[in-house]
Amino acid sequence: MAQKTPEQINEDLLRPLSGTSGRYLIVLAFLAGIVIAALCSFFWQVYAGLGVSGLRSPVFWGFYITNFVFWIGLSHAGTLISAILRLANATWRRPVTRCAEVITVFALSIGATFPVIHLGRPWLAFWLFPYPSERGIWPNIRSPLLWDFFAINTYLISSVTFLLLPMLPDLALVRDRAAGWKKKVYSVLALGWTGTPKQWNRLERAMHIMAIAVIPVAVSVHSIVSWDFAMAPVPMWHSTIFAPYFVAGAIFSGIAALILAMACLRKFLHLEEYLLPIHFENLGKLLLVMSLLWFYFVFAERLTAWYGNDPSEMTVFWVTQTGSFSPLFWLMVLCNFVIPFPLLAIKKTRTILGTSIASVTVVIGMWLERYLIIVPSLSHKYLPYSWGTYRPTWVELTITAGTFAAMVMLYMIFSKLVPIISIWELKVGLREEAHPAPALAPSHTQPNEVGAD
Amino acid sequence: MAHQWGMVIDLDRCTGCAACVVACHAENNISTVGEDQAARGRAKHWIRVERYYEGEFPDVRVKFMPVLCQQCDAAPCEPVCPTFASYHTIEGLNGQVYNRCIGTRYCANACPYNVRFFNFYNPEWDKPLNLQLNPDVSVRSVGIMEKCTFCVQRIKASEIQAEAEKRAVKDGEIQPACVQSCSPHAMVFGDLSDPQSEVSRLARSSRGTKLLGELGTQPKVTYLQRESWHGAENA
Amino acid sequence: MERRDFLKISAATGAVAALEGCGNPDHQLIRFVPEEDMLPGLATWKPSICTLCPAGCGMLVRVMQGEAEVVRNGQLGILKMGLPKKLEGNPAHPISHGRLCPRGQAGLQVTYHPDRIKTPLARSGPRGSGQFQEITWDEAMKQLLSHLTALQTSNEQGKIGFLTSPLRGQRKTIVHGFAAALKAAPPIEFAFLASRTIQEANAWSFGSDALPTVDLSHSNYLISFGADFLGTWNSPVAQSVGYGHMRNGRTGQPGKFVQVESRISQTGASADEWIPSQPGMDGVFALSLAHVILSEKLGTAGAAGHAGALIAGWSEGLPDYAPAAVEKQIGVPAATISRIAREAAANAPAVALIGDGPAAHTNGFFNALAVNALNAVLGSVGKPGGIVFSPVWTSQSGKPGAAEGKKDGESSVRTLAEQIHATPDSVKVLLVDGANPVFATPMAWRVREAFEKVPFIASFGSFIDETTVLADLILPDHSPLESWLDDSPESGSTKTVASLAPPAMQPLHNTRSMPDVLLDLAHQLGGPVAAALPWKTYDDALKIAFSSLQKQKGSVSATDADDFWTKVKDQGGWWSAEDKSVSLAAGKIPAAAVKNTAPQFDGSPDQFPFHFLPFASQLCYDGSLAHLPWMQESPDPLSTVMWGTWVEMNPRTAEKLAIKQGDTIEVASQHGSLRAPALIAPGIAPDVIAMPIGQGHTNFTRYASGRGANPISILAPMVESGTGSLAWAATRVKISHISEGKIVMFGASLTDASPELKHR
Ligand SMILES: Nc1nc2c(c(=O)[nH]1)N[C@H]1C(S)=C(S)[C@@H](COP(=O)(O)OP(=O)(O)OC[C@H]3O[C@@H](n4cnc5c(=O)[nH]c(N)nc54)[C@H](O)[C@@H]3O)O[C@H]1N2
Ligand SMILES: Nc1nc2c(c(=O)[nH]1)N[C@H]1C(S)=C(S)[C@@H](COP(=O)(O)OP(=O)(O)OC[C@H]3O[C@@H](n4cnc5c(=O)[nH]c(N)nc54)[C@H](O)[C@@H]3O)O[C@H]1N2
Ligand code: SF4
Ligand code: SF4
Ligand code: SF4
Ligand code: SF4
Ligand code: SF4
Repeated sequence: MAQKTPEQINEDLLRPLSGTSGRYLIVLAFLAGIVIAALCSFFWQVYAGLGVSGLRSPVFWGFYITNFVFWIGLSHAGTLISAILRLANATWRRPVTRCAEVITVFALSIGATFPVIHLGRPWLAFWLFPYPSERGIWPNIRSPLLWDFFAINTYLISSVTFLLLPMLPDLALVRDRAAGWKKKVYSVLALGWTGTPKQWNRLERAMHIMAIAVIPVAVSVHSIVSWDFAMAPVPMWHSTIFAPYFVAGAIFSGIAALILAMACLRKFLHLEEYLLPIHFENLGKLLLVMSLLWFYFVFAERLTAWYGNDPSEMTVFWVTQTGSFSPLFWLMVLCNFVIPFPLLAIKKTRTILGTSIASVTVVIGMWLERYLIIVPSLSHKYLPYSWGTYRPTWVELTITAGTFAAMVMLYMIFSKLVPIISIWELKVGLREEAHPAPALAPSHTQPNEVGAD
Repeated sequence: MAHQWGMVIDLDRCTGCAACVVACHAENNISTVGEDQAARGRAKHWIRVERYYEGEFPDVRVKFMPVLCQQCDAAPCEPVCPTFASYHTIEGLNGQVYNRCIGTRYCANACPYNVRFFNFYNPEWDKPLNLQLNPDVSVRSVGIMEKCTFCVQRIKASEIQAEAEKRAVKDGEIQPACVQSCSPHAMVFGDLSDPQSEVSRLARSSRGTKLLGELGTQPKVTYLQRESWHGAENA
Repeated sequence: MERRDFLKISAATGAVAALEGCGNPDHQLIRFVPEEDMLPGLATWKPSICTLCPAGCGMLVRVMQGEAEVVRNGQLGILKMGLPKKLEGNPAHPISHGRLCPRGQAGLQVTYHPDRIKTPLARSGPRGSGQFQEITWDEAMKQLLSHLTALQTSNEQGKIGFLTSPLRGQRKTIVHGFAAALKAAPPIEFAFLASRTIQEANAWSFGSDALPTVDLSHSNYLISFGADFLGTWNSPVAQSVGYGHMRNGRTGQPGKFVQVESRISQTGASADEWIPSQPGMDGVFALSLAHVILSEKLGTAGAAGHAGALIAGWSEGLPDYAPAAVEKQIGVPAATISRIAREAAANAPAVALIGDGPAAHTNGFFNALAVNALNAVLGSVGKPGGIVFSPVWTSQSGKPGAAEGKKDGESSVRTLAEQIHATPDSVKVLLVDGANPVFATPMAWRVREAFEKVPFIASFGSFIDETTVLADLILPDHSPLESWLDDSPESGSTKTVASLAPPAMQPLHNTRSMPDVLLDLAHQLGGPVAAALPWKTYDDALKIAFSSLQKQKGSVSATDADDFWTKVKDQGGWWSAEDKSVSLAAGKIPAAAVKNTAPQFDGSPDQFPFHFLPFASQLCYDGSLAHLPWMQESPDPLSTVMWGTWVEMNPRTAEKLAIKQGDTIEVASQHGSLRAPALIAPGIAPDVIAMPIGQGHTNFTRYASGRGANPISILAPMVESGTGSLAWAATRVKISHISEGKIVMFGASLTDASPELKHR
């Protein structure tokens, strides 16, 4: 990247903000259409009752909770990975962190809607909030759903902060180059960033604290999501392995989502010179590690169940290994291990295309994993008389599709509003290459220096 | 000590007649959902008679097992409820406050017995079937979880009556609708905190077992297992 | 949008909303003065009688104040009235012992059914179209009267037919009295499950033309030949109470229960030993047991008395029935037969029962006689722990028509249909009350076609069903809870039982009690008819009839007639103080002892390889309760099917024909075919196909119409050779796979070989 000058960087990375193509608008409209369809489906569900979904006795959780876990899992792409890479001071992270952190914020927001979407009486969702009700009734802190509420909110607040903080210098840059109403908007967003050494210093310290703090938060979030299941005496749910299993799976799917996002940005925003094969290669290696870890967890979970031979667990075990859910199970193994493992392990295929293909299968596979954790167990609890099946209806399918569309849409809009690659960090990188220094930010910066480059 | 209401179900006596199922519908304003919804797993039977076939023709045996809320003392459905809609009463019942329920259905997943039923739609009664509704029992709206209450309205009525008459509730005085209807007297209801009550005595029977007791739910329903005939064969 | 437009629109919608609030007719109903003195929120319990099957269980009705929309004098309004909320058994009643079966529990839905006929109707479209117009009671009575008087003047009263469900008590007195005084044809009492063959056999064996009362609570050994005595047969509540006692309610040895049948019934499911046997071979099985008892000197031939003497070969010890000789025929190993016989003999009191299925073969009468003989040799007749015959309180009104005539079976409807087909003019007016033979008879009998030829049909039905839809005039009866009721059950208790119940509620609709309508008609007809039915109202007749009980020792002691009447009303009837069974007369002496003839089946085994076994549904009974949503949605105890029917078959049969659970299959006899979903269950012989009766209504309220298929429709017109009753278990069928289908089951099936089951 040495050949890029700071001007070129500004030019390349601010270009997406300056205009929209017809193609962009068509895609956006198409996605918005899906999102609107999903909203209509949701309101229909609220009006008619949850009966319009495919949920039934005894499978009281289905697509919605699958989506919940999936999206919350996906959110681990960003903040967590970026925090780890920042702390490890992995220099190759620079073009990657922001697009990762954005995934977190959007995936988390989308995921957090599902506990509301799935409620029988969503208009009373606020009863989950601990607010001083005139009746003196507080929510039940023993319920993992309450833990979810706290965990997700904490994670959302911290990841929004984690995204916004390092965005300030770039927002200031955009502000300085904008005119008219845009200038006003970016002025507000930039929070008066002028790039004084004091500001840089504070940003550096704040980022450091956040990077450390956000890791346990992220780990706790998916642990707690796993406890929604592990706390209930449901066959194959009630397992101590669930928390690390879920966290690992979350990071796994998160990296895959990040690779996909990067591949798309690279292609559509013409960032070929910023998002380099080395980034894909490095993330691919991480994905490989997670794939192995995932395989290990699945194996460990199944081995102990099989060895223990508890009849109720074995029912669910066989239902997924050889029974009615086995096609989905083996598809999941194919997607999460059989396909990605060779693609990522062989250096020759650890290309942008290779890692992208692996990521696509991993995202599919991880969605299936969430589904396979929830539905086979619920449909085969202890008393065989009460077993049941589950098929989603068009309402659930539309809402699910709507959230995927919403994710892409939000990402597209975001990349038009904020430089999706951190400009100042790239510039810092340039400088560090010239004068290697361990500091996060250049200590000798002048007021507004970065912006004025 | 507060009453601890419990039940004994003698599987040797139960004939699988399903009178209890209908009696519970009649007593507790459980709505019927119709064929289409029943086909989609939305039928609500707070008590169901589970039937298990064993063996192959001609050596076939059938087992019936009425399953209702076991009013677990360590009820998995209670801690998971975020709004305290599912809670434990002082008399050891698993109470369900319909007004508080927001419909997470978490409790239904946590209940190992699958005895919690969800209102996927608003209940309907084609007029004038609504005239049958028991005014002592509330009607549950859409989005709400419901389940066997041990006919708490009957328990309360008897307790209030006994209090008015300044006496203790008599053993056998309270009969939930299912117990009341059971022709072979397979079900017995009463106070487990009274060691002399019929339900206590039967619960101590050597035939007594708890359904899924190994899960630690501490059910307050005791099942008396079937006995094989041990009479004078080839006499 | 202009701001003014917006205002206009919101004003308009506001007005509409306001109008809707006030304009909703619900909120404009006139409030009628409360008719009853009830305390809000407080329940009162009123006695009543369950009329949903012939058992005649006594009930208590929980009545609470409520508000009902009713029509009074042509005006719709709200009435605060006592509304039945729950039905429970009457603990004082000797038959129900405070319990009810699931059907009895659902009786409320008969009264509150949305599709009840609410006012008299006259046919306004072609016959059977279901088009009726509402008329007043005056018009309805006038129409009916004019038809009756027309036949009176032309001296054709004999062409008035009266078709009812089985009648007892004063209702019977009035119906039969009315018909007799009118010189009409004797009323025909029709029910599909009439147990005529068993009653007739009991008349032969024991001199009592009735179903037995089974004293299970004292039995030590019970062999039931296809009797669904815990579900639908005879007096299921009384029998279940006794059964509970026999199982585990007494100190000492619980009794053993052996069930013999070719498809496991709800009752068979509880058996200690379930023995599948060949259809129609129950008599041979019973006599083979008797053979063992006689040959091993576990009982004497003479002990069986008349019931034994009726059987050919009895006094010689039944040489033709040695287990080894008959095991192939029965399909039960000889060792099992011998063991059962020895166990039964060693565990007195031992009792045998025969149900309607085994009696519904061409040799059903013989089967019943054989089981009677077995009971006799087991010494269980008239003894505690055995079968007894209850002393039935026959009508005491001292009026003509009250005499117990010969009981009708379902075959009398066949005779009626044949008669109409032969001489279309032979029935000019047909009065129908409670019976639905168009549904409950084989198509081959052509009952519907016969009724279509009758010039005028009047029905007292509460619902449009397959028979009532043919009526020209409908005079809807009260529901049982709205009516005076009385009953004298023929079995279920060793006491004489005379049940009585005043109405438990005001009528909801513009209906009238059928006996009152008949009395009214009689008065208007005048002359001998009026003289024969002198009571002003039905309850007058009841009061007079019941007054004769005051002097007898029973459950009510009273100071005077009024006191007696009040107490009987409060208690829900009168029952005798002592347990008393009828002293058994020797029954009929036949010309020759009765011999078995092999059961005949319609259809050749190679073309129609399966026995077809219809059975009574625990919930919909004989189909008369299919209109109740509770009965539709409650899972059948064995199949767990809701809202539908099924064709039950053995897994091996299904495998051979590549039929999967729920697939639509066609069942065809020589007389018709039907389609229904397959239910694969292990409790049925591979050569038997079973199907519950109850569904398959073409026209029976919103809940039952067009649902499932009716097994009765395809039955062959085979008859029991001794009694002429329909041999409804004597049809052979073939089945074929049609397509994938749907079956609504509450319980996950445990019979399909899913991988998850194999590993459990
Ligand atoms: N037109 C008309 N107006 C009336 C009356 C009348 O008869 N006619 N009656 C009057 C009388 S007597 C009364 S008492 C008032 C009653 O008036 P309100 O106090 O408004 O009573 P509700 O309509 O029952 O509404 C209570 C709300 O609380 C919610 N809720 C239930 N449980 C909880 C909980 O745990 N937490 C929270 N936060 N909310 C909960 C319910 O969903 C509902 O939305 O109305 C008065 N107004
Ligand atoms: N389904 C349902 N049940 C509820 C509630 C609910 O929201 N929904 N709310 C609960 C609450 S908070 C309350 S306070 C209660 C209220 O319950 P109730 O006290 O029963 O209130 P209402 O039904 O409004 O009025 C009772 C009767 O008083 C009569 N009435 C009106 N004015 C007078 C008068 O001057 N004199 C006399 N003698 N009678 C009069 C009316 O006609 C009416 O029949 O209901 C409780 N029950
Ligand atoms: S009512 Fe009694 S006998 Fe009948 S199914 Fe229920 S528990 Fe069993
Ligand atoms: S049986 Fe289920 S619903 Fe009832 S208390 Fe136990 S866990 Fe809760
Ligand atoms: S469904 Fe209702 S009762 Fe059950 S956990 Fe959720 S809020 Fe609580
Ligand atoms: S105790 Fe009451 S609520 Fe529970 S199953 Fe029995 S009848 Fe239903
Ligand atoms: S057995 Fe059932 S249907 Fe028959 S009278 Fe008794 S309660 Fe009614």
